[in-house]
Amino acid sequence: MKILVCLKQVPHQDARLDVRSDGSWIQEDNIKFEINSYDTYALEEALRVKDATQAEVVVASIGPDRVTQALRTALGMGADRAIHVKDPAVEGSDPLGIAKILAAIAKAENPDLIFTGFMSDDGNFACVPPMLAELVGIPSATAAVQVERKNGTLSVSREIEGGAQEVVELTAPCLVAVQTGINQVRYASLKGIMAAKKKPLDVKTVADLGLAGQVGAGAAKIKVEKIAPPPKGSGAEMLTGSTDQIVSGIVGKIKELGLL
Amino acid sequence: MGTILIVAEIQGGKIREASFELASIAQKLAAAGGHQVRSLVSGKGIAALAEEFAKKGGGDVYAAEHESLGSYCVATASRAIRAAVDASGAELVLLSNTPSGWDVAPRIAAALDAAFVSDCFKVELEGGKLVCHRRVFNGKLDARVSTNGPRTVVTVQPGATSPFAGSTSGKVTPLAVEFPAGARARFVGIKIAESKGVDLSKADIIVSGGRGVGAPEKFREVIQPLADALGGAMGASRPVVDAGWLPHHYQVGSSGQVVQPKLYIAAGISGAIQHLVGMKTSNYIIAINKDPDAPIFEVANLGVVGDLFEIVPALTKALLAAKG
Repeated sequence: MKILVCLKQVPHQDARLDVRSDGSWIQEDNIKFEINSYDTYALEEALRVKDATQAEVVVASIGPDRVTQALRTALGMGADRAIHVKDPAVEGSDPLGIAKILAAIAKAENPDLIFTGFMSDDGNFACVPPMLAELVGIPSATAAVQVERKNGTLSVSREIEGGAQEVVELTAPCLVAVQTGINQVRYASLKGIMAAKKKPLDVKTVADLGLAGQVGAGAAKIKVEKIAPPPKGSGAEMLTGSTDQIVSGIVGKIKELGLL
Repeated sequence: MGTILIVAEIQGGKIREASFELASIAQKLAAAGGHQVRSLVSGKGIAALAEEFAKKGGGDVYAAEHESLGSYCVATASRAIRAAVDASGAELVLLSNTPSGWDVAPRIAAALDAAFVSDCFKVELEGGKLVCHRRVFNGKLDARVSTNGPRTVVTVQPGATSPFAGSTSGKVTPLAVEFPAGARARFVGIKIAESKGVDLSKADIIVSGGRGVGAPEKFREVIQPLADALGGAMGASRPVVDAGWLPHHYQVGSSGQVVQPKLYIAAGISGAIQHLVGMKTSNYIIAINKDPDAPIFEVANLGVVGDLFEIVPALTKALLAAKG
């Protein structure tokens, strides 16, 4: 069995988000990056299948040099092989362009299962996984909070509203986009990190995947034109001063509300 | 001009409020751009609902009546939507960003090789071009997204606008949808999670901690004592539960409990949309966070930029002293 896990490297959750002067995206120089939180759960889900079945786990990611670190981390956690699509021609791709790149990888690798995160912590589009599944021609389920394998089918519990879950059965090959919290993600052990250095990490270009001219800014059907902090409403009344002053301000308010 | 297709959604035997919000957006776009509005209503026993939607903003409605469409499943839903897109020749397809919408809409966009924008809070025409507004970075920044190409699929955040209040005089046409045997995705059922632990929705006062609390023991040492001093309950944001620091029944948010206490104190919670949805209608909100730009301050009544490990214990002490 083979499992493909798609990873995105995103700005660290605690990174400062400064908008570039042209407003096109955030300033990415000198900030820390990490594997998208949702994707760490996807990798863990795949590694659990590997632990039970000896499946091969292949991780794929798209982006500049820095992405190598995310892939090495994934290899350190237990993935067997990595594919890094590194090509300036990817720049400016919209999510459908990214899905096309991942679909080319999936078609070449022909995995039994694809695990991805439900969405990314930066773009929040939550659309690449179902797009990828559609392009490959396999079923998909999003916001998975539980996955059970029975022979060639997966029973996937999807998080829906009001704390309920919707159960859908998918026939493999299929794609599952996992919600955070589906499992407890392992850390890469020192031994794993050492072993990862010897694991294969293939670098590919868009042309290698037969997609020259089909992805990138020129092919994008949507464009993030401008990002900006949300307009400030009247917002909160802010308390300042020493801790004592702040605390007496809060206590005063709680008294005023009649809750003390 | 072209056609806007609304994909309406049925929940609990009724058309969802969010679908009437889509009607509001579609009718506004149509008025500006000269489009015609059509809708898809699909499910089991939907004749009356299709008639209702045709009169309340949906325009001409395709009614896809089928046993297989009675519950949402990606395989059957995408067939019905594709059939309606083919029948209408829609250039814009609108869905709600609900668990069904976000599951199927990207597949429709990929199949049509269409532009796709998800979870928009505003959709408008600017010089004949569709421009969408949505949040990125978990609510910390707003993005303006332009689209091009002959076809666009958009999902809209429920609650982004008010439901369509006018009336339309659409007619209902049956839409035949084929379901080939051997579907590779099948709806099995709905599981309702049994509620255990505290019912936060009944608490008058809730003190919630987020990722900023840093460790499970800090909830016992810092957050719980403040909740106790106020006679309230303790809650948490999603990252806390995901990390396994607290069980799921503490979670406040769209995927946890939706609460409306008299007083909500958020400590170390930045305010991701999914959390805000679960608590923003609280009567009074106090937020303590080290990041002055945290979205939580937008919904809070009273805010403190500072270290929760300094302020919360001092506040607990002061409250206990005040009670005597």
